[in-house]
Amino acid sequence: MATTAVTSAEITSEAPRSDFGRVLAQRERRFAAALLAPAFLALLATTTFPLLFLIYTSAFRMDLAMPFTNGFVGSENYQVLLSDERFWTSLLVSLVYTGSTVALQVIIGLALALLVMDMKRGQGWFRVIAILPVVLSPAVVGMIWRTFMLAPEFGIVDFLAINAGLGSKNWLGDPTLAMVSVIAIHTWQWTPFAFMVLLASLASLPEDIYEAARLDRASAWQRFRRITLPLLRPAIVMVIIMRTMVALTAFAAIFTVTAGGPGTATEILNLYAYRKSFTELSIGYGSALAVALLIVTIIISGILFAMRRAK
Amino acid sequence: MSAKRLRIIALLAISTVFLLAWAFPIVWSVLNSLKTDSDVLAYPPKLVFAPTLEAYRDVLFGSGSILPNLLSSVIISVGTTIVTMLMAVPAAYALARLRFRGKKFAGFYVLATQMLPPVGIIIPYFLVLRNIGWIDTYQGIILIYLSFSLPFAIWLLVSYFEDIPLEMEEAAYLDGASRLKTLWRIIIPQVRGGIAVTIVFVFLNAWNEFLFAVVLSGNTVRPVTVAMFNFVSVEQTLWAKLAAVSVLAMLPVVVLGVVAQKHIVKGLTVGAVKGGGRR
Repeated sequence: MATTAVTSAEITSEAPRSDFGRVLAQRERRFAAALLAPAFLALLATTTFPLLFLIYTSAFRMDLAMPFTNGFVGSENYQVLLSDERFWTSLLVSLVYTGSTVALQVIIGLALALLVMDMKRGQGWFRVIAILPVVLSPAVVGMIWRTFMLAPEFGIVDFLAINAGLGSKNWLGDPTLAMVSVIAIHTWQWTPFAFMVLLASLASLPEDIYEAARLDRASAWQRFRRITLPLLRPAIVMVIIMRTMVALTAFAAIFTVTAGGPGTATEILNLYAYRKSFTELSIGYGSALAVALLIVTIIISGILFAMRRAK
Repeated sequence: MSAKRLRIIALLAISTVFLLAWAFPIVWSVLNSLKTDSDVLAYPPKLVFAPTLEAYRDVLFGSGSILPNLLSSVIISVGTTIVTMLMAVPAAYALARLRFRGKKFAGFYVLATQMLPPVGIIIPYFLVLRNIGWIDTYQGIILIYLSFSLPFAIWLLVSYFEDIPLEMEEAAYLDGASRLKTLWRIIIPQVRGGIAVTIVFVFLNAWNEFLFAVVLSGNTVRPVTVAMFNFVSVEQTLWAKLAAVSVLAMLPVVVLGVVAQKHIVKGLTVGAVKGGGRR
């Protein structure tokens, strides 16, 4: 760019170089602003504005079923929230759901990536099949699992359970089993994501380090602990961060399977905010729950990003 | 030798189990969509049966056809993709190539918008759209889909813009081409591949979205992911039809996913790599 300024300045006029540079820089800024404006206006309108409006509505009682009680209530929704048992339960369910699904995805995904990396043939199968779950709509995944996989007797999971001597189970009707089921469904859909990302970063690791380790007679476990794991750490942390954010706001794959039930057994905070707002039509309190979810998200991502920076 | 053989067999067994686990629910839905209801409900489950296209005929052309819902899904996804790309391509170019104050902040802002839980967007947006009568309209849904498709598309495109050599641009600029002309004639053709990949992913995400769709849809606009619910009610489940609808809903994204196979890791992790600085 600097050379551009010099040559053009020589040709066109006697204007001082710095002035011309400034004009060019200014033009570049204007051009950038024009290119960015539509996207940023749209983002302001669809993200920043809703956030501000959400915080505003969380200070109101806004009951669509009983409009005559509506009005400004200040921090009342938040005070109610702090002593709302269902809120604390949903927060706990969120943490269990997120913690277990993310841990399972990373552990299974990493183990499989290591296994497939060692395979001389058949890697292609994994690369294709792993794509299938992750491109599907969680809503469709939820519907399939709820019916053809988990329905009593002819659902395949129940069929296998019966044949394994466990007997037919009410997979979605029993609180504990329902929680296990929604965790399993999320893990089923997203483990391929962790697998594919970790396999890609495994494949990009330098080969010669392993050669050296092998010459030093390092055991397979030592090679994994001392070489692979540290080199893979950034990728693993990235997977954890991305999957945590998604699991915290999981919606379709729970909504379609249990709708949060039985009772509130699988109601994560995200689902509680939805149900409060759109099933029970208490928009003001639902907004407060959504703000609480945002705060939880920020705290957890803050912790994860701190972990990422820490050695 | 036998220990090595045992290891190979174990590896093979584990691989088969996982491949089956991932493929089975999808394959099973396809099989069920080709059955009659009584075959779906058979115990033990039937692997061999007389296949029929009856379920597809019913869901496509019977009463309560889901053709309008498939059309809804297509309009929403195509509309979202077009609007997103028109805004994201110029913005991504500016973020990747131009120098201006606040560039770092602009990039960070695009990423930070993704922190907002979707439920926190839909609650206020529901109120706004209700007031202006945009519930159950395409413009309402497409507008709010920008909240997730734009940041995604911008970041994915930035990564492709950064890959083109700077010299081409300078050469064109030196030749006296205007900035806009340079962008249109020189830069865009260079990132055609990246634009195609971005289009695939934006379409895919829009097709799969559920939360916004379930809140904003009505009798006019109801994508297939939401319409699926009609086949499962408290009184009865229309098993074979549900399977057929699931397969129809899965078909486009599976095709796109397999087509974009090589780019899928990049598409899935976009933003994350840039998020906390380069590594």
